[in-house]
Amino acid sequence: MIENRRRLNVLSELLEPNWRFWSLVLILLLSAGALFLYPVSEYQGYVDPFYSPTVLVLPFIALFRLSCYAYRKDYHRHVFKHPMACLNDERMDSSKRKYTGETGFFALNNFHRYFFYIGLAILPFFYYDFYTSMVYQSGFFIFRLGSILLLVNALLLTFWTISCHAFRHLIGGSVDCYSCLSHGKGVKKLFNGQSFLNLYHEQFAFVSLLVVVAVDLYIRALIAGWPVDFTFFKIAI
Amino acid sequence: MSDKVTISIKRSDPSKGEAPHFVDYEVPTQEGMVVLDAVHYIENNIDPTLSVRWNCKAARCGSCSAEVNGLPRLMCKTRVDKMGDKISIEPMRAYPVVKDLVTDVSHNWEIAKRIPPFTPKPNLPKPWKIAAIDITRSKEFRTCIECFLCQDVCHVIREHQSNYLGPKHMVKVAALDMHPLDSIDRAGFLHVEGGVGFCNITKCCQNVCPEGIHITDNAIIPEKERVVNEFYDPIGILIHRRKKK
Repeated sequence: MIENRRRLNVLSELLEPNWRFWSLVLILLLSAGALFLYPVSEYQGYVDPFYSPTVLVLPFIALFRLSCYAYRKDYHRHVFKHPMACLNDERMDSSKRKYTGETGFFALNNFHRYFFYIGLAILPFFYYDFYTSMVYQSGFFIFRLGSILLLVNALLLTFWTISCHAFRHLIGGSVDCYSCLSHGKGVKKLFNGQSFLNLYHEQFAFVSLLVVVAVDLYIRALIAGWPVDFTFFKIAI
Repeated sequence: MSDKVTISIKRSDPSKGEAPHFVDYEVPTQEGMVVLDAVHYIENNIDPTLSVRWNCKAARCGSCSAEVNGLPRLMCKTRVDKMGDKISIEPMRAYPVVKDLVTDVSHNWEIAKRIPPFTPKPNLPKPWKIAAIDITRSKEFRTCIECFLCQDVCHVIREHQSNYLGPKHMVKVAALDMHPLDSIDRAGFLHVEGGVGFCNITKCCQNVCPEGIHITDNAIIPEKERVVNEFYDPIGILIHRRKKK
């Protein structure tokens, strides 16, 4: 019985009349179209976060997001409706459908930590983009509204990445006896600090995603000629 | 808050072949009244045949678990004025009903027997000493009052057939695994017999816990990560094998 349930059941999920799932697919297709057909990798020193450092890393970032515990909770609930809510399943909506949890296709989520490593390696590029946005004109240091947006974006992505559950496991979550380690107190302090950030992991996950999209739209608005940029100061160096 | 509230209780008596059905009762409300007070009022003044299990009425014993307006809650910790003018009360769906609101939760003792017990490291000097820094994590899990609300709300337990232990028992496993003097690694047990892969971390268990235990974040996900270490992560598998040698 259990072995049968462990079979790949993605196809049966796709055949469900699930408007949430198909809406998500449509949004992703439109986004992919916008990214590849109308690329805006750079404009006046602003590097679009979707193209930083290159659009080719986007699939890995997408996998990092999709295998994140925060997103897993939400797509299992709101896309695949297992369960749709914590209330009892009066309409037998969930119990009538086959369920394999994370034993079948979604067992791939167990490789989240590898996508985390890639995410961590990409983080410095966002700070470099912030720096570039201020010194892109040779001989000048310019501080504009867009630079603040790039910095906020970089910080949110950093908070989301370092509040990750997989990272929590790696920096001390796997330790059972801290006093047995020579630097146990330091490890526990690091673990406690990360655990504090981890409380807000879901918020960081969604706000950082929205800000990435917002910054992309902001740069597209600038290219379209919208007067939405504001220079705070410009000094010769 | 109105003077009266309608309490709709799902009643049944399987021993007499009585099918489950809702019965409505009008109950006068009082300031600070909880759902268990309303059930007691019905038991004492309207229908003494109503069965309900309770002990402390202080959210410490975990006996009065039920589904109030469709969501598993402790009746003694749920205020009437927060639940509307008509409140439905049902027994926990994950368990067989004994009578009315009383359910048979003994299946949990069978699951508890399957969990590899606490096994101290060999040759520990007596008396055992544990540093304060090492107890903070498993201390959270010790506050579990075994109300089984998390088991009841878990859709894997309630709606699907699997070998998944359930959130309450994941908390137990995590408390044992994170014990500084314990010598057993239970990741293999969880992966094969415990069905931890069936949990899709939707956090309903964490939402309903009356003790505020971060069941998913502090027990289930750390245990899932330990399973990843031993069964999915190639580097983790190598380290684990070297440690075993």
